[in-house]
Amino acid sequence: MSDLLQVTNLAVSYGSVPAVDGVSLAIEPGELRVILGANGAGKTTIIKTLFGLLRPRAGQIRFEGQIDLLGLKPHQIHRLGIAWVPEGRQLWNTLTVADNLRLGGFAEADKALVNKRIGAMFERFPRLRERQEQIAGSLSGGEQQMVAIARALVSAPRLLLMDEPSLGLAPLVVRDVFNLVREINKMGIAILMVEQNARQALKVANWAYLLETGHIVESGPADEIGGKQRVQAVFLGGHA
Amino acid sequence: MELFLQQLANGLVIGSTYAVVAIGFALAFTVLRVINFAHPDIFMVGMFAGLAATAQWPALGLLVTLLAGAAGAGLVGFALERMVIAPLRGRDVLMTLIGTLGVAIVLQNGMALIVGPDPVAYPSLLPRRFIDIGPVALTLRQVANFAICLLLLGLVSLYVRATSYGRATRAIAERPDVAAAFGVNVARICQITILLASMMAGLAAVSVGMLYGSASAFVGLLYGLKAFICMLVAGNRYFEGVMVVALAIGIIEALVTGYLSSSLRDAAAFFVLIGVLYFRPNGLFGSYNT
Repeated sequence: MSDLLQVTNLAVSYGSVPAVDGVSLAIEPGELRVILGANGAGKTTIIKTLFGLLRPRAGQIRFEGQIDLLGLKPHQIHRLGIAWVPEGRQLWNTLTVADNLRLGGFAEADKALVNKRIGAMFERFPRLRERQEQIAGSLSGGEQQMVAIARALVSAPRLLLMDEPSLGLAPLVVRDVFNLVREINKMGIAILMVEQNARQALKVANWAYLLETGHIVESGPADEIGGKQRVQAVFLGGHA
Repeated sequence: MELFLQQLANGLVIGSTYAVVAIGFALAFTVLRVINFAHPDIFMVGMFAGLAATAQWPALGLLVTLLAGAAGAGLVGFALERMVIAPLRGRDVLMTLIGTLGVAIVLQNGMALIVGPDPVAYPSLLPRRFIDIGPVALTLRQVANFAICLLLLGLVSLYVRATSYGRATRAIAERPDVAAAFGVNVARICQITILLASMMAGLAAVSVGMLYGSASAFVGLLYGLKAFICMLVAGNRYFEGVMVVALAIGIIEALVTGYLSSSLRDAAAFFVLIGVLYFRPNGLFGSYNT
């Protein structure tokens, strides 16, 4: 099967400080891959670069083999079928829950279809239906994460980029979020997730990359990489 | 009591004009992230565009003058965005600030070269009539000015709350990166926003020219300053907050004129500004973090 997304030798700097250096990764349709890394490893930088929000110094990003994402603006990249669940949710806090979801479908011209998808989200997350006219900023962290995920799904993406979906959530909610990630993936949506919660992420992912200070130092099937010494040391509380 | 109600009405009329100009500032500041110093002079260009149209076709009346004002101001605003603001996007904010200030100076002095530095007469366009509302007497032109401005404010509120592009506009104001990543063409919304702000200012300018019967190349300064204060006092988080503050400042000015002295009028807005920023530095209704 050919790659849905292929990143080759990506290098991104902030000024003269390299954040990501020589990163290569790929994801096939329907896969769930995770990039593990500590704070400052460059995870968010990779996602922002994929979306055209940062300009890389070097490297290539291709979608479906031939589309070069580096020549495109963020709104054009979204229209290829790529959606984003940003780090820390980043909802439009002054807008209502319903308006956040409508904006998720901004690029879809068929507004009846968007309304149908929002209806489906309300079926899946009844809590959001109750709170649809509330300002998004007034919701709890877990509810906000539901809005962030629902907002991305309203665009009916083929590839979902998830940036630390478990960040800052209560342990019980974290489990819900990872179950949801698995459920979304089962719907056929490919997911590229960056996470610090290695234990949970490795349970749902089928492939993992380990990112350290801007370099990929390990990569392999998720059920094997959990056994690697480096991953044990950094994330799973084992001894190096 | 009668003086109070009369000044309240006068204040609402002038406040509604401040509100329209202030919304233009607030739109540019929150969406394009630029302090558009040329905005008051776009207002001024709208005033003269209306004047030119009504001098050319005197028979066509108020509607055509208003449309010409909107078109003139809109054209200048659009050109400003394309030629100055867009090329400087992503640079230091000081650059766009100086750029728009430069355009403001060119517009003011360019217009002064054409029409002269002194105020010129503005056609009244509406019959000289008083309308009595209880103990309050307003001229037909005051009522028309208030109605036009209130209609514009209502339309802006409707636009940003109930339309897809309007929601995208607020989305950019709060989180431009996320908006772009959800398919919003930020550059296009910026163009639409500045066009909208400028056309509104042009409409209000014609209405103000008619209200006071005069136009001047330097008329923008006063309205620009007041409108800018309104935005700072309200904070830029809610456009409706800016509208409410502008109406309130209009009323405060009218009351100061009525009960204290007209020479204190222009100081009143500054006292409000200092007082509010001392206690709420982000404005009464809050501001976005930028």
